[in-house]
Amino acid sequence: MSPMAVRLAGISKAYPGAIALDEVSLGLAAGSVLAILGPSGCGKTTCLRLIAGFERPDAGTVEIDGRRVASPSSMVPPERRRVGLVFQDLALFPHLTARQNVAYGIRRGPDATVRTDELLELVGLTADGDRLPHELSGGMQQRVALARALAPRPSVLLLDEPFSSLDQAMRTQLRGEVRQILREARQSAIFVTHDQAEALTVADRVAVMNRGRILQVAAPEIVYAEPATPFVATFIGVSNLVAADVMAGIATTRFGAVRLIGTPAGQVAGHALCLLRPEHFNIEEAPDGAASSGSWEVIDRRFSGSEILLELRAGDGERLWVEAGSRVRHLGLGDRVTVRLRDVETIAFMRRSSGGHGGGQVPAQGGLPLAELVPPGRGDGIGESLASSPPWRAS
Amino acid sequence: MTSLPGLRARRAVPSHRPPLGLVLLAAVVAALAVVPLIHLGLRVVDGGVESLQPLLRPRTVELLISTLVLGLAVTAGAVGLGLPLAWLTTRTDLPARRAWSILAVAPMAIPSYLLAFSFVAALAPRGWLAELLAPLGITATPSSYGFGGAAMVLTLTTAPYVVISVRAALARLDPAADEAARSLGRGPWAAARVAVMPVILPALGAGALVACLYAISDFGAVSILRYDTLATAIYSQYRLSFDRSAASALALLLLLMALSLVWAEGRVRRRAALQVPHGARRAPRVVSLGRWRWPALGLCAALTVLSLVVPSVTIASWLASGLRRAPQLWDALDALRDSLLLASAVALLALVVAVPLSWLLTHVPGRTSSATERLLYGIYAIPGISLALALVSLTLNVAPVLYQTLFALILAVALRFLIQSVGALRGPWLQISPHTREAARSLGERPLGVLRTITLPLLKPGLLAGFAVVFLSTLKELPLTLLLAPAGFSTLATDLWDSAREAFYGQAAVPATLLLLISFLSVALLMRRGDVQA
Repeated sequence: MSPMAVRLAGISKAYPGAIALDEVSLGLAAGSVLAILGPSGCGKTTCLRLIAGFERPDAGTVEIDGRRVASPSSMVPPERRRVGLVFQDLALFPHLTARQNVAYGIRRGPDATVRTDELLELVGLTADGDRLPHELSGGMQQRVALARALAPRPSVLLLDEPFSSLDQAMRTQLRGEVRQILREARQSAIFVTHDQAEALTVADRVAVMNRGRILQVAAPEIVYAEPATPFVATFIGVSNLVAADVMAGIATTRFGAVRLIGTPAGQVAGHALCLLRPEHFNIEEAPDGAASSGSWEVIDRRFSGSEILLELRAGDGERLWVEAGSRVRHLGLGDRVTVRLRDVETIAFMRRSSGGHGGGQVPAQGGLPLAELVPPGRGDGIGESLASSPPWRAS
Repeated sequence: MTSLPGLRARRAVPSHRPPLGLVLLAAVVAALAVVPLIHLGLRVVDGGVESLQPLLRPRTVELLISTLVLGLAVTAGAVGLGLPLAWLTTRTDLPARRAWSILAVAPMAIPSYLLAFSFVAALAPRGWLAELLAPLGITATPSSYGFGGAAMVLTLTTAPYVVISVRAALARLDPAADEAARSLGRGPWAAARVAVMPVILPALGAGALVACLYAISDFGAVSILRYDTLATAIYSQYRLSFDRSAASALALLLLLMALSLVWAEGRVRRRAALQVPHGARRAPRVVSLGRWRWPALGLCAALTVLSLVVPSVTIASWLASGLRRAPQLWDALDALRDSLLLASAVALLALVVAVPLSWLLTHVPGRTSSATERLLYGIYAIPGISLALALVSLTLNVAPVLYQTLFALILAVALRFLIQSVGALRGPWLQISPHTREAARSLGERPLGVLRTITLPLLKPGLLAGFAVVFLSTLKELPLTLLLAPAGFSTLATDLWDSAREAFYGQAAVPATLLLLISFLSVALLMRRGDVQA
C-alpha cells in the first residue's frame, strides 16, 4: 500500500446546534486524487477546513505525510502544514498581480523567480502575469488560484468546489486541465464538490458524504455499480430501487431473477430493494393496442444528446427510469413499451426486519425512509464509513 | 466575470459568535456614550421638583417652541429645495448637470456657523454685500438676522441631505414599474402615484428628518445669528449664569427631542429599505426641460451663490483687510496648531476603535453587530451641546481629574465622529473575504505576516479615508470643543465663534479662511468617496 498523504481518524466536529462531522475516517494515498461528494451542508467543506487547519476537531486526529497535525489537544497552525488551498471564491489577493499572487507562498531566494515563471507557464498565464485579478477572466482567475496553491509544493492540495463559479463549457475544459496538471505533478489532492459528474471524471477515488458521515469511499466505477447505501445509489447517477426477494445470491424482482454481485450463496435472505440502473433494461415497443398487464406507459422523456432516458409507469403505478436503445428513440409520451431485464449483476439492500414475510408490496423507490434501509451485514462490525463496497461481497 | 474575487457570494463561515474582546470594545463605546446621558438624566431627576423647575418656566416653553419652529421651517425649506434639486440633477437635461449635482451637495461640508458668520460679516456696515445692497435701499441690522437668517443658513446646509437621500431613491427607481402601471391602464399621474411615490416618499422622509435633527441640534449658526433655541440657552445658562441644573434640564429636553426624531427616522428608513430593486434595469428616461431650463438654472445658481459664493467672497474680503494686521496671524497659527493636534489625536483614536468595530459589522453578522450599528447611529445623533454638557457634568461630579482635560475632549470628539471612521472602513473590509486571509495562512504566512502583507494593504484606502474624514470633521467641530477644551486651548472653530460673537470680524479672517479651505477639502473627499456622484 502506498504511503498516506492525508489520514483522518475518527474525526468529529460539532457546531452549536449542529453536528458537522460524525466519526469521519478517510485516507488519501500519496499522488492520488480524492473527491468528497455530497449535498450542500453535508460536512465536506468542514473536512477540508480541518485538514487545512482552520478548524479544530472535537475528537479524532489528522495526519499529513505521517505527521500528526491536529487532535483535540494540539494544533499545527495552517502556515506550517504544507497544505495548498483553492477556495470556492478563489480568495485571490486583489491588490497583487497574478505573478505576485503566485509568488506569495514561495520562499524568497534565487529560485523564486524561476519557480514563479514555471507555474505561470504551467497554467498558461505567462503573458498575463502583470495583470491584477479583477483584470482577468473567471477562468484565468481560477488558474492563478491553482498556480498559487501549487507554488510552495504542498503535501496535499485542497480544492473547495473549485469550478462552481464557471460556466458549463469553461468548467469542462478546466476540469480536464486541472486533472492533467495534478497527474503530471503526481500531486496528492482532495477536492470537494456536489457535482457528481465532476467527482466521477476527475477523481481516482470518491468519498460520498451525507449528514456529516462518510457513506462510501471507492473508485468511481465501484461507487456507481456497487453503492454502499440507498442514499449513495440515488445520489449518483439515475437509479431504480425495485422490490425484490433475496435468496441464495439471487434477487427475484418483478422483472425476473438477477444475480447479486459476489454473494456467498445462502448467507442472507429476505425482502430487499434491488438497484437497477437505466442501462440494465431492454425496451421494445409494445404491440399495437396492447395495454396488457405487462406493458408500461412512457410518461417523461429526457434527451441529452448522446442518450435518451424514458420514465415509465406500469399499470400498478410503479415507475421506472430506462435508457432508450437505438430502436426506440422515436418513442414519445403516451407510447407503450415492454421492459426486459438484461443479463446483469447488481446489488440489493436488505430491509432491516427480514423476519416479516408477506408484508405486502414494497414501494419501489423513495417510498421508504432511507434510515430503515441498511446494507446487509451491517452487524459484521465493519463500519459503514469505511465500507468500500457492500460487505457481503466475497473478499 | 470581472468583479473582485472577494466580492463574490461566499458561504458563511460557521462560527458566528463575535470574539469577546470585540463585544467588550462595543460595550465600552456604549458605556462612554450612555453613562454621561444617564448621569445627566439622574441629576435632573435627583434634584427633585426644584431642578424640574426650569422646565416649567415660560421661558423654557418659548425656547421649546422657537426650536420646534426652526426645525419645521428648516425641514420645509430643505425638502422644498432638495426635492427639485435632486430631480433636476438626475432626471433632466439641465445644462452642466454633472457640475450642478456636485455643487448641490457641496454645502453640507461647510459648517453652519461659518456660513452664518459670512452672512453676518457680509451684511455688517461696510461689508461687501451691505455696500452692494445699500444703493437699493436695503439695509440689514444684526437684529433682523434672527429667525429668518437662521432658517436660511440651516436650510442651505441641510438641503444636501435631502438631495442625497432622494437621489439615491431616484436611482433605485425602476422605469419598468412606471411602464407596468401605464400598461395596466393608468394615466401618467396615477402611474406615478403607484410606481414613483412609494419609493420617493420614504427617502424624502428620511432626508427631512435628518434636516430637522440638524436644525434643532445646531449650536454655532443660531448663536452667531442670535436666534435663541434650546441649544443656545443650554450654553448661556451654563456659561453665563452658571446655572447647571437649568442647563442640564434643557440639555435633557433637547436630547429627548433628538432621540424621538432618530426613532422616527429609523422607522422611515426601514420602510425605505423595503423597496428592493430586482431584475435588470434600464437607464431612466431623461426629461427635457425646454424653456423651463432657465428658471431651473436660476434656482441652482442662486443656491450656489448663497451657500458657496457668499462665504468665499466674504472671507476673501475680510482676509484682504485682516491680513494687514500681522499679530492676528500668529494668534490664528496658535489656534491652527491646537486644531491640528486635536484633530490628529481624535482621528487616530477613532481609527483605532473603528478598525475592530467595522470588522465586527462586516464579518460577524448577528445581534451584536446590529446593536453596535444602532449604537453608532445613536451616538452621532446626540446633539453636540447635550453631549458636551453631560460630559462636563459627569467629569465635574464624578471624575474631576478629567474635567476640561485634553484627554476627555479627545475621547468625546472621537466618540461623536466614530461612525464616520467605521463607515469609511466598511467597504474595504467587505472586500477582504475571510478566505483571503486563510489563503495567505495556508501559503505559509504567520498571522502577523498576513496582517502586514494582505490585510493592511487592502485596508489602506479605508484607513486613509477614515482618518481624513474624522480629521476634517474635528477641525470644524464647535460645541464639544467650546465646553470641554482646557483653559487656553482654542481651535480655529472656537476662535471664529469668539470673534463672530464679539463682532471682531477682522480677527476672524484667518481662521475663517482656513476653515473654508478645510471645508473644500471635505467636499473633495466626499466626491472621491463617491457619496457625491453626478
